[in-house]
Amino acid sequence: MASISIENVKKNYGALEILKGFNLDVADGEFVVLVGPSGCGKSTMLKILAGLEEATSGTVRIGDRDVTDLAPGDRDIAMVFQNYALYPHLTVAQNMGFGLKMRGTPTDVIATRVADAAKILDVAHLLGRRPKQLSGGQRQRVALGRAIVREPQAFLMDEPLSNLDAKLRVTMRAEIAALHQRLGVTTIYVTHDQIEAMTMADRIVIMKDGEIQQIAEPDTMFQHPANLFVAGFIGSPGMNFIRSRRRDDGRYSVLGQAVALPAGGGAPEVIVGIRPEHLTLGPGMLTIDIRPTLIEGLGSEKYVYFDVPEDSAIHPATAAPDDGRKAGRIIARLMNAGPIKIGEALTLSADPARLHVFDPASGKALN
Amino acid sequence: MRATPLQQALLYASVILTCAILVFPIYWLVVTALSQPDQLRQLPPNFWPTEPRWEVFAKIFEERPIFRWLGNSALAAIGSVTISMAVSVLAGYSLSRFRVRGGQGLGLFILTAKMLPATLLVIPLFGIFRTVGLIGSMWSIILAHATLIIPFTTWMLKGYFDTIPRELEQAAMVDGCSPLGAMFRVILPISAPGLAATALYGFVLSWSDYAYARTFLTNAQDNWTANLGITTMKGEYVSNWSDISAASILVALPILLIYLFLERYLVGGLTAGSDK
Repeated sequence: MASISIENVKKNYGALEILKGFNLDVADGEFVVLVGPSGCGKSTMLKILAGLEEATSGTVRIGDRDVTDLAPGDRDIAMVFQNYALYPHLTVAQNMGFGLKMRGTPTDVIATRVADAAKILDVAHLLGRRPKQLSGGQRQRVALGRAIVREPQAFLMDEPLSNLDAKLRVTMRAEIAALHQRLGVTTIYVTHDQIEAMTMADRIVIMKDGEIQQIAEPDTMFQHPANLFVAGFIGSPGMNFIRSRRRDDGRYSVLGQAVALPAGGGAPEVIVGIRPEHLTLGPGMLTIDIRPTLIEGLGSEKYVYFDVPEDSAIHPATAAPDDGRKAGRIIARLMNAGPIKIGEALTLSADPARLHVFDPASGKALN
Repeated sequence: MRATPLQQALLYASVILTCAILVFPIYWLVVTALSQPDQLRQLPPNFWPTEPRWEVFAKIFEERPIFRWLGNSALAAIGSVTISMAVSVLAGYSLSRFRVRGGQGLGLFILTAKMLPATLLVIPLFGIFRTVGLIGSMWSIILAHATLIIPFTTWMLKGYFDTIPRELEQAAMVDGCSPLGAMFRVILPISAPGLAATALYGFVLSWSDYAYARTFLTNAQDNWTANLGITTMKGEYVSNWSDISAASILVALPILLIYLFLERYLVGGLTAGSDK
């Protein structure tokens, strides 16, 4: 186990900047998740860390060693790939022991470590099989097993759950988290799924266009997003954004209501963010009368969509990845809401204390 | 959607017809080999000889140095395929995996070389081999066949390597292999079907050559390949087509045997299960 330090790592392909100066310190035993939309540079950063890609500039340290110019095999890390990358011509046991064999570990030690890892991952009965004889979940376990038998300084995981079906993904997510708790190995995990990031990470690093947007613990990132992008990316459904202008009395107009927003600092215009789950049924401090245009029932909760004037609601895609909402549409996530019908009048309310305020020019959070 | 009986009948009829068209020349070769010479031009033709001459094969072995011819063909094929595979495995892998300046142009150049007919290269190759004193030597056709095979096998293997996920090599490198080690320990073992198919293709190209052997080996009777040897069985005025057909069957047999031996590799799907 070791700490990891990434200092000002840049990666360019010609004129194209994939990583624009990446800095991150990961503590020994920490579970850090790099999350962001496709093309944000998270997988490139992981490959640079593994030694599979060369950084244009910058330094990577694992423990007290500068590994920037070391071959992947000399970095003492193990990697789990999105498509598992199991060696098809080898059995499960040979797959798991391959890395140890390459390092000249005695056969009996390999056998013991493989057996121990297989027991932890519940694949002991599969050791004689080849990868093509395994299910997706079993392959994923073997891929994890191949990583853990090496007892490396750090695990690198590149979207390891994205090829699994939704149910298995939830199971494996919990297993990886449990495995990390048990082994305590420093882990850097890449995903585009913010739910994986929120549920597994000690700290989340959220990236966009090759730049870190925020590094924080999951709760902090959810409650205090640094900017519009983070606010829209973290949370499902994403945060609603509303353009809000300062009134003559110094308060701000939010969906036709006057609200005091000290964080606005008197700016003529701000962007107000409301999480869908912070809109509740019935009147409150900030009351909105709406008519639902679409209702999605998920059993215990409902996603209620309603339209507001287009000049006030901002298309989420301008701030965050497109989640299918069109401009002028807001989502409320209502728990145990009872029967609600499209087009029928409905009263919702929000607590102004839970509103997020952003600077429209820079997108940075003001509160 | 289930096919109607008429569609099924048409499907089977077309399959049977295709097979008949493909198999008929081989069948007729066997009939010709087993027929008495005076029965060959009968009209209507005999579709099976009344008294098959099974002894014709023994006669060929007695009268012609068929084993030596086959041996020479095998030597030429094994030699040229060995050289070709050694070159094209590395070349195909490099073209598939590495993005280097001029790599694409080099790949296209190899592709262009593949399009040149073998006969076009006979004269320059003859000039080169005469200069270095290889005319009449087995090395002449081994090297000439390699020039013919390498462009094909390089592109075939590049295509095969393209289908193998890069993550396999990356995993091997993280596990401690060098890039070359990853190729030899992981990529080549799982490429067995592709390597077998490519080697067989090269073997057939070499085995079926006549133009190069005729040009480089005519005056070296001990080094005649099977194809060249068979053509010497044709007389100026009289040709015994039964004997020639029998010799042709003997020459075709090794390829059939090799195909049967490699068949399980050719239809393999060894990479199944490496990823999702």
